[in-house]
Amino acid sequence: MSGKAGYHGKILNIDLSSGKSETMAIPREDLDLFVGGQGLGMKILWDRLKKPGVDPLSPDNLLIFMPGPFSGFPVPSSSRTCVVTKSPITAPLKSDYPHASTVTYSNMGGFFGPEIRFAGYDGLVVTGKARVLSYLVIDDGKVEIREATKFKGMRTDAFDKAFPAELGDRSFKTVYIGPAGENLVPYSSILHTAGRAAGRGGAGCVMGSKNLKAIAVRGSGQPGVADHARFLAALEKARSALYGTAYAKSWAEQGTARAIVGNSNAGTESVRNYREGTFPEADKIGGDAARRDVWVKDIACYCCPLACKKSGVTKGKYGGVVHDGPEYETGVMLGSNLMISDMPGLLKAITTLDDLGLDQISTGNVIGFLMEAYEKEMVDRKFLDGIDLKWGSVDATLAMIEKIAARDGVGRLAAKGVAALSRQIGQGSGKFAIQVKGLELAAHNIQANQPRGLSYATASRGACHMSGDNIPMQNRRAMLDSTGMCFFPTFEPALEEPMLALLSAITGREYDKAEFEKTGERIFNLEKMFNYREGFRREDDRLPDRFFEDAFTVGPRKGAVLDLAKFEAMLTQYYKDRGWDPETTKPGAAKLKELGLDLK
Amino acid sequence: MDEKESVPGEGMNLTRRDFLKGVGIGGGALVLFGQFGVHSAAWALSGEPALKMVLVDYAKCTGCRTCETACSSRNRPASVGGKEFPGLGNPRYANIRVHGFNPDVDVPVVCAMCADTPCVQACPVEPEPKTGRRALYRDPATRTIRNDVDRCLGCRSCAGACAAKRTGTITPNPETGKPERICTLCGGDPQCVKRCPFGAMSYSRSGVTGNSTASGLIK
Ligand code: SF4
Ligand code: SF4
Ligand code: SF4
Repeated sequence: MSGKAGYHGKILNIDLSSGKSETMAIPREDLDLFVGGQGLGMKILWDRLKKPGVDPLSPDNLLIFMPGPFSGFPVPSSSRTCVVTKSPITAPLKSDYPHASTVTYSNMGGFFGPEIRFAGYDGLVVTGKARVLSYLVIDDGKVEIREATKFKGMRTDAFDKAFPAELGDRSFKTVYIGPAGENLVPYSSILHTAGRAAGRGGAGCVMGSKNLKAIAVRGSGQPGVADHARFLAALEKARSALYGTAYAKSWAEQGTARAIVGNSNAGTESVRNYREGTFPEADKIGGDAARRDVWVKDIACYCCPLACKKSGVTKGKYGGVVHDGPEYETGVMLGSNLMISDMPGLLKAITTLDDLGLDQISTGNVIGFLMEAYEKEMVDRKFLDGIDLKWGSVDATLAMIEKIAARDGVGRLAAKGVAALSRQIGQGSGKFAIQVKGLELAAHNIQANQPRGLSYATASRGACHMSGDNIPMQNRRAMLDSTGMCFFPTFEPALEEPMLALLSAITGREYDKAEFEKTGERIFNLEKMFNYREGFRREDDRLPDRFFEDAFTVGPRKGAVLDLAKFEAMLTQYYKDRGWDPETTKPGAAKLKELGLDLK
Repeated sequence: MDEKESVPGEGMNLTRRDFLKGVGIGGGALVLFGQFGVHSAAWALSGEPALKMVLVDYAKCTGCRTCETACSSRNRPASVGGKEFPGLGNPRYANIRVHGFNPDVDVPVVCAMCADTPCVQACPVEPEPKTGRRALYRDPATRTIRNDVDRCLGCRSCAGACAAKRTGTITPNPETGKPERICTLCGGDPQCVKRCPFGAMSYSRSGVTGNSTASGLIK
């Protein structure tokens, strides 16, 4: 145990170009102000990408794996790792820099973050580019870059099975990319153990650009705590807030899949490329159906009492082992958004996407866009390489997925996302190219949910459903994703007080509700500073026209549509409340000073 | 990867195929081994006095590894400058180990407290005349397996026997070769059982509910 409060105080830098690695001290001030995870990752990116417009796929970009202060402790659900990098997907409408893009951060569960901390680091920063496809082994202080050419093109499930034998030991925790990441599909994901993924924002593409197939980490150490007695008492309380509760059991029962039927009934689901909010066949792909027909095992991440992840088996034409799903996002993006209601087919698509290492959300969105363009005869079958991309077709969806991952034929363009596709296709297709800043929207539809529209419009990484529907939520989320704890247990009100006590006891810095939120506000503002520097302005916080023009035609929220004037007024108020210039969205000097962000 | 290849490292000899056949979701029924079916039948048949031990229900295990953290926190707590910090410990040093497989199966492995103790049988140290103990012996009070570090040769025979015949729980210390990571039952208050969020473990009297043995898992 390092004996320091909450942190090791150092990160591991690995430069794949030179093959050298070294530890780097993190100033205590940065730990206090930016915490870990998303926040500390952002600070490192800000400090080290000094100039705007760095090409995300160049060796200069940083690929940052960040646990948080909770990581490495048996705190309930302290399983998360945040991958921070400069996005290969997003772009501003106008910029002085050809490679301008936002920051991106993608948060995954599992066991990787805690292991980074056991190995003695508060984070890993990968730069440069390996000469040939390689993998990285970190065993406490021992760091090795090894050739991975024999794994070239290997899908992630096969790799997950082969890699432990290559390493000679099952106790390593591993992350890896699939063919899509190797092929530099911008919305590629990074996979970790049984279908967990850092999916959004293209971290897998950046990893591919570095010629890095995988990372294995193992550690024998342990981070320390500032106040041992307080830690133990708060840990006891945190456990009893969740263990055996109806709340925890409901997660184990259905995970996020419960919302597939729930949100459809509420008219807030992405259906038919966001044309509708209700899917009449939602029950066929929902949690009850999956529990009945598919799921065999509930799976939990490190020290998590919720076990929201499921795996199972399907039968028939599309049958096989399913590592994960349907979850809400995957089930909707590949299900209702594509009008697919065949459960085994849906799960085949989900499994294939993980296997290839593609972001489920962006891919489902891209295919939905193409289905609509095909239906409207804006593209023909030749454009689609002969794929009959009709609504609801599982076979066509699977064929499209393979094309995208291989960047083959129509996949070359489709791999660039809906913004690029609609620019190419024209004919007014931008109206239903459902993206913000170049990142595709997720499984929450918004004609009947204006606050979620704010989240999509203003989130730092492009259209993110997780950012938060208002300022306090956004700030709390940015902070939570900096701690290493999962979002899902935090809906339990009884967890809040012990969670704050644990954070204080671990770090030695006193966090109450206000300080928690303030720290998140600082992190959110630094992200904004980064994006502003790249050239993102108010016109980039723009939702596609569909949401203001196409009222729902079915479901309980039939007729719902957003009002552009109201939405713009809400945005103006948002910038003012943020202390940003409502014209340009530039963060105001007073706000930055208040947050200690008057950097440089 | 060759399906029959042994699981490398961590002193575990179960093969992938054993698991996939038995409990893997690819292989069918998850509950093949029954509820809490580890070794209790062997005890019931052995004529030994009843004992309480940690039993795992594989069907309930989610692979969260809370049990590992609870065990190391108690039995191998982190320390700074000689001062120990109970409640903090790297799960890698736990006496219980959760082995994860693909397809998704998680198998917590803990000392099965075998009635016939192949580990003790394998110990080459002459029994002490007074107690009859080799360097590895069964504690008469708790029935756990213990190591007399002063007499232990560090020959790794016990670890070899356990790995070949039973759970492979014994891990020799990399420097001294002396056996480590054998369940202590935490002085009668097993932390793994207490902390498992999913009730996948019990601290049970043997021979009550069991219907198969750990050796049934092994070739
Ligand atoms: S704590 Fe329980 S559910 Fe979690 S790994 Fe251990 S036995 Fe399995
Ligand atoms: S150490 Fe191994 S052989 Fe000995 S009692 Fe335990 S499981 Fe059986
Ligand atoms: S009873 Fe105690 S020593 Fe044995 S495995 Fe459980 S926590 Fe570890």
